[in-house]
Amino acid sequence: MSQSSLNLPRIVLHDIWHHKWILLLSVLVVLNAVAVVYTSHVTRKLITQWDQLLQEQDRLDIEWRNLLLEEQSQSEYSRVTRMATKELNMARPLPKEEVIIRAQ
Amino acid sequence: MARQAKRKLNHQLIPWRLYVVVGFVLLLFCSLIARAAYIQIIEPDKLRHESDMRTLRTTSNQVQRGLITDRNGDMLAVSVPVRAVWADPKHAHDQDAFKDMRRWQALADVLQEPVDELVNKVKNNPDKRFVYLKRQVTSAVSDYIEELKIGGIYLKSESRRYYPAGEISAQLIGITNIDDVGIEGIENTYNTWLTGTPSKQKVRKSRDGSVVERLDIVQEGESSNDLTLSIDQRIQQLAYRELKRTTEMYQATSGSVVVIDVNTGEVLAMVNTPSYNPNARDNLQPHRMRNRALTDTFEPGSTIKPFVVAAALDAGVVKVNELISTSPGWMRIGGRQVRDSHNYGDLSLARILVKSSNVGISKLSLSMPVEQLLSTYQAMGLGHYSGINLTGENAGLIHNRHRWSDFERATLSFGYGFTATPLQIARIYATLGSGGVLYPVSILKLRQAPKGEQVISNKVAHDVMKMLVGVTEAGGTGTKAHIDGYPVAGKSGTSRKAVAGGYGDDYVALFAGVAPVHKPRLAISVVINEPKGDKYYGGDVAGPAFAKIMSGALQMLNVEPISEQEAVHLAAARGAQNNVIK
Repeated sequence: MSQSSLNLPRIVLHDIWHHKWILLLSVLVVLNAVAVVYTSHVTRKLITQWDQLLQEQDRLDIEWRNLLLEEQSQSEYSRVTRMATKELNMARPLPKEEVIIRAQ
Repeated sequence: MARQAKRKLNHQLIPWRLYVVVGFVLLLFCSLIARAAYIQIIEPDKLRHESDMRTLRTTSNQVQRGLITDRNGDMLAVSVPVRAVWADPKHAHDQDAFKDMRRWQALADVLQEPVDELVNKVKNNPDKRFVYLKRQVTSAVSDYIEELKIGGIYLKSESRRYYPAGEISAQLIGITNIDDVGIEGIENTYNTWLTGTPSKQKVRKSRDGSVVERLDIVQEGESSNDLTLSIDQRIQQLAYRELKRTTEMYQATSGSVVVIDVNTGEVLAMVNTPSYNPNARDNLQPHRMRNRALTDTFEPGSTIKPFVVAAALDAGVVKVNELISTSPGWMRIGGRQVRDSHNYGDLSLARILVKSSNVGISKLSLSMPVEQLLSTYQAMGLGHYSGINLTGENAGLIHNRHRWSDFERATLSFGYGFTATPLQIARIYATLGSGGVLYPVSILKLRQAPKGEQVISNKVAHDVMKMLVGVTEAGGTGTKAHIDGYPVAGKSGTSRKAVAGGYGDDYVALFAGVAPVHKPRLAISVVINEPKGDKYYGGDVAGPAFAKIMSGALQMLNVEPISEQEAVHLAAARGAQNNVIK
């Protein structure tokens, strides 16, 4: 009786050692499960971020289009011509007044 | 005894109790497992459906219509996302939206519409599910409406087209209707190319509305394409300004200018008056929306004369330095008269063009078979579509018959009896400038020059161009089209407009030409329809506009003007040529 009670931990350890591969695999399974959960969490976060970036892109696109319109109306040629001639007293030289400088 | 009894008690097992407890526990487990199995395996669909109802959403991304730009990247048409305000009257009634009328008042104020009308639209149709309240509102307004939180009022994305170039390019670019479909001009012709289709995607959203999973694509979208035109907006703007000024000065009914790149056949400018503002379409008038440069035809008058000379030279019926007698300044053909304004006596081919002698050119026409003349006209693109491929293009009219009277053959030589568009007039001069090579006209920017077709010989084209230089110099009919620094080969034209039963009192004044002669770059035709007032000659009315547009455009394109010495040299060479002829 006392002999068997002395041997119990040893038997347990022995048994564990005997099934070490199964035990290792079960630990790996648990770790794997945690990894899956973690990865899918990260994926979701990335997808959310991606979606936010897409929304940001849309917003910037709208802004770009509005800025484009503003730029076009500000740089409209007849407006520039009018400002150049009226406000800055500029004039387009006649062809015969042009001086040609040749770059080699 | 007591000890014994105790021990007995300790070891006493009541089996049925154990079985009951174990049984219960087992039953509990079994039922849990059964329930789990039922949910997971046998009937998972219901819960999945419930979950999907709460998380699955279909999102669609809006695709903006493609941009239209000129050859340098200047925007000609831009789509900007806006929103449409719509109401679901049933929802509005269900949610008792009419309780708080202050919100409706605010809505009416921001939409600038009477509040009664707005409310009645929704209130009076409780069974309807969709009513537009206002379309194309800006994002600031739509954000405000969103904040009002009126039940049953919703916003929908759509887009609005802006045309920064405004009336300058209005007819060419055309417009879209409120549903973003091109209905005029390039918007119409290239509608499919410019339009994209939105893609639809199934996504899973979390409780706070952010996307956590992208599932399958419900509908594959197609992105829209941008369009780069051959138009140079700087030239376009210049051409429109000069054309508008000319049209107003002579109170003309309408006018068109076409500028073509001689070496590629690309259209650099195409403008018409009267125009309209494509950004404010409250009162669109159809006659302002027509792209007259390619839809309206007229008889080209004297502008066609250089091509009679070209046909005659090509056929070999005259020599470059041959003299033709035009005295006494008129001639009788089949009972009708062809006359010049003066008796010019003997004229060289160059002088016939410079003086625009009807008698001289008629004699040339009569000296060759009519088929020769007509085939030259047609080879240069008259009576055919130009290849520009825009809605509403008119090919003009050249009769293909075998019997022509002598008088008709004479009138063909000074531009009556057939019709052409301003685009075609510019194109035949471009053909002259390219050394007789006819290019298909393109409104899209080309990567390389297309393959042209040699329709008249290079030498003939150059000879005719040289002859035309005199037109804009002292003594010619187009002195107002003269440009210092860029020698012009051009020709004025004035044609009476045909009315039912003959010719009326209205005129079409034209000037068309290429420049610079020594290295042609641009061909321009200026057509002023029905100028009122004392002046109606092409050289007087259209000539100045031609000169302004041509010199400005050549400067913008960095074309080198000829130097003083070259100019003297050119003049001397021509003087020598004239001396030989005299």
